[in-house]
Amino acid sequence: MASRVNESGWNGPHGTFEPVSGSLSPDQRFAAENAFSSVLASTIREAVGDALGRNVLEILTLKGLLDATNNSKEFDSKLRSLFGNGAAVLEKIVVKDLNRKLGIRYDSEASFDYEKSLETAWGVCFVESKLK
Amino acid sequence: MGSLFRGEQTEVSGSEILSTLLGSEVRGDLLVLFHRNPGLIDTVDGVARRIGRTTVAVISEVRELLELGVLKQKRIGASEVVYLDRDKDRELLESVANHLKTLRVGEER
Repeated sequence: MASRVNESGWNGPHGTFEPVSGSLSPDQRFAAENAFSSVLASTIREAVGDALGRNVLEILTLKGLLDATNNSKEFDSKLRSLFGNGAAVLEKIVVKDLNRKLGIRYDSEASFDYEKSLETAWGVCFVESKLK
Repeated sequence: MGSLFRGEQTEVSGSEILSTLLGSEVRGDLLVLFHRNPGLIDTVDGVARRIGRTTVAVISEVRELLELGVLKQKRIGASEVVYLDRDKDRELLESVANHLKTLRVGEER
């Protein structure tokens, strides 16, 4: 079942990231990961499109950058290869939008880490799916 | 508030445009604000409030976007307001897109 999760859903930086004790059934976890993966991918598309326009979004799609959205480390690396320091600005826009969708407060004064921000967001998604 | 920018815009490369557009978090917020609200016309104070920042934090960032030409400024009554120059914005983003086409994903910049 683990391979099913990794192939299809959110594949965070540590793979086995478990934000809270207790567990979902494999199917519930699979569904939660897919839901998070879907929200993240759409948020990235919206954020990049709104910041830099549809043409840039289309080019990034053609270059396969948006295929890496489930792996934050790989996505960050690919984004930096194209945008240099501007990658962090795009990532902040993504995290701000994602946090707004999930009801998480965004602190622009705090130090920023894309992977950790996504871990936090995934944690919230995971807990919410446990409560359903 | 007086005029923020009175100079001429010079021709810049796609790479330079990209560096300017994504030069800071505030500039990123401004881009998203104006692209999501392309008809927005507001003072710098108003724009700052809309993105949850202070005028002081925003003013130099707005100036950068005015110098690039993506934003324009005009006087309405007693107020100086800024707005998106849609044609220039489209032109600049096209240059950025053309620049990105020449890059390969995975190569360090």
